[in-house]
Amino acid sequence: MTSTLKGFFFSILATILLIGMAAPSAYAQDAAEAREIEYGKDIFKTKATCQFCHKWDGSGDQGYGGNAPSLRKTELNPDQVKEVVKCGRIGTGMPYHDKFAYTDKRCYGAVRDELGTDIPPIGNEYLQPREIEAVVKYVFTKVHGRGEATYDECTEFWGKESRQCDQYKK
Amino acid sequence: MKMSFMTGSLASSLLLATTLSSVHAADMTFERALKADAEPQNWILHHQNYAAHRYSRLNEINQTTIKNLRVAWTVALGGFQSGGRYESGNLEVTPIVEDGMMYVTDGWGSVYGMDIKNGRKADIKWKMDPGTDRAWAGDVACCGVNNRGVALWKDKIVSVGLDGRLFLINKATGEMIWERKVAEPALGETITAAPLVVRDKAIVGSAGGEFGIRGYLDGTDLNTGKAAWRTFTIPGKGEPGNETWKDGKDHWMHGGASVWVTPTYDAALDTFYVGVGNAGPDYDPEFRPGDNKWAASVLAIAPEDGKIRWGFQYTPNDPYDYDEISEHPLIDAKVNGQDRKLVTHGARNGFYYVLDRTNGTFVNGKQYIDKLTWTTGLDPKTGLPLEYDPKKDVQDYVMGSHGTRAKPLSNVKCPTTTGGKNWEPAAFNPDLNLMYLPTAEGCNMLEMQIHADFADQGGTVKPRDRFTGGSGKAAGDVTGAIKALDPVTGELKATARWNYPNWSGILATSGNLIFAGWIDGEFKAYDGKTLQEVWSFNTGCGIKAPPVSYSINGKQYISVAAGPFFLGTKPPELKNYTTCSMIYTFTL
Repeated sequence: MTSTLKGFFFSILATILLIGMAAPSAYAQDAAEAREIEYGKDIFKTKATCQFCHKWDGSGDQGYGGNAPSLRKTELNPDQVKEVVKCGRIGTGMPYHDKFAYTDKRCYGAVRDELGTDIPPIGNEYLQPREIEAVVKYVFTKVHGRGEATYDECTEFWGKESRQCDQYKK
Repeated sequence: MKMSFMTGSLASSLLLATTLSSVHAADMTFERALKADAEPQNWILHHQNYAAHRYSRLNEINQTTIKNLRVAWTVALGGFQSGGRYESGNLEVTPIVEDGMMYVTDGWGSVYGMDIKNGRKADIKWKMDPGTDRAWAGDVACCGVNNRGVALWKDKIVSVGLDGRLFLINKATGEMIWERKVAEPALGETITAAPLVVRDKAIVGSAGGEFGIRGYLDGTDLNTGKAAWRTFTIPGKGEPGNETWKDGKDHWMHGGASVWVTPTYDAALDTFYVGVGNAGPDYDPEFRPGDNKWAASVLAIAPEDGKIRWGFQYTPNDPYDYDEISEHPLIDAKVNGQDRKLVTHGARNGFYYVLDRTNGTFVNGKQYIDKLTWTTGLDPKTGLPLEYDPKKDVQDYVMGSHGTRAKPLSNVKCPTTTGGKNWEPAAFNPDLNLMYLPTAEGCNMLEMQIHADFADQGGTVKPRDRFTGGSGKAAGDVTGAIKALDPVTGELKATARWNYPNWSGILATSGNLIFAGWIDGEFKAYDGKTLQEVWSFNTGCGIKAPPVSYSINGKQYISVAAGPFFLGTKPPELKNYTTCSMIYTFTL
């Protein structure tokens, strides 16, 4: 076996080994990411009920929660959205989800007494950092940058057992 | 032998029938409904009687004995499932009690038949879960997943589901006999009110005033399960009132005017009285120039055919979402020495109204809420707001009190969007001659947003889209009170205050007491005359359902549902409160 040939076999072996090693880890990473997105969706849908104001597809809405902007079209980046989820938005109906927001200066450098009636409402449920990461991940994977909601997106969100998505059928 | 067997069998059947009829309650008839006051041991109508007095003629629990009031039993209900825009169902039910059985609903429309005869335990005999399409219906519920209770008819129960269905149920077993689709969630319609049964008709209405519906009342013939009539609360082309929608684009077709509280009924006039909700889009009156009849109104309607006898509009061209759906108690009283048949209303717009229920003429109106800034008062002749100008298509009322297209953000105005009083029912004590209103004391702002037209009118808004034309904006804390008024003049006689809006409504009793619950779990009794607190118990979770009273074997009970919060802002001190789904029952 020439050294070239040896080198060839070696590199094949190495490639096989590499594929063998890389494939499961990439898979694991995808699975972990998918799980995080699914977890984020559950927070968006049920735990924090972001959809009450922003609508299930994140396209924004009006009504009793306030005039909620579209998350499909938002110009904020993920870090900024994280901050808004954590701290709410002062002077609007967007609630805060960090239990300790406005007890110290972690949010916009302000505490409750300084804000008076401009203090954001308290979220329906508080969220831990891991949950905030997940819900923002969900928004930037499944919502942000998309056009009009489709039937497939709707059934992915609600399932097919409800009539909820009939209106999106073409 | 054969003969004797048959005789024996017949005899035992007869015995069984006798036993059953003595155990089971009498059929619910129209005659019984008319005389509900004569059955103080029961609570057989949603508002206690057709006149909505919510007044129990039991007095074992009174100012002397109240100190001994204690928990008799509690029972857990379900209805926690998420659905649509909500994390959980809500609990706003008024229980119906008949001969030791209690019938309640949870927010998703499950009906529970409970034997409560033994006085220390509620034995849930049956539960009828109608299988509500939660995602579909819950996505077009504006303000929580609600079901305010059932009605009795013959030996059956009539109930509703949020997804627009009406059910007839076997009272003994909970078996569903039939269902009829009344409201259409595909158009944003839902049903949350307990049905009103008059003779053999079940009357319900459609909620959905924030989703571009055209509201209506609907009568079902309970003998056949078929539609008897439907009357839209917004008159159609050519009908009187349609001319009050002046946009020229048929915006009346999506103008709101929903119905979601049980009407009152007067048998002598054979008329029911129903509050009608806000016009839509809620906060953009320039979208719908004109008075927008019959939004923010009361309608008097014939139960047999649904014909409108008269209407009275509280806030023409309403820009505030002063949704006047709440109950309209009926009283007979002297006005200036004359006997009058009156219909009353603690309005969301902050005034207490008294009208002649034979013809809808205005008798009296008085501010009951602490602060009212959207108008400077009511015209003593017409009952309309003083700034109302019939020549104007869009009403200003007090300048800056609502958003406009020129200046979308309003000033702070009072009462809040949810009103001086929302759906939570008042009570009336005819012996003390006092009307008790539950109130929300506070102010907010409105932020108008221009809305596109509906797709069927050349725009982009689709059925089931929210159609509010903006939103409310908080402007400080909202507290609450119970106010005792002279029922004719509206003069304030006594006040009890608490830290939160009253979201439960009131029970009055002839023990000269009233009962009310609060969102911090406080369940309180007050002296009926002075409104001094005389007793309290904390359920550990928020109460936003009206209490009832009844007796079993001569012993008086008070029951109230304690349940989840409205999805909204929790006061900071209640931020860790969680939800429950319970019936609490008290006795001496």
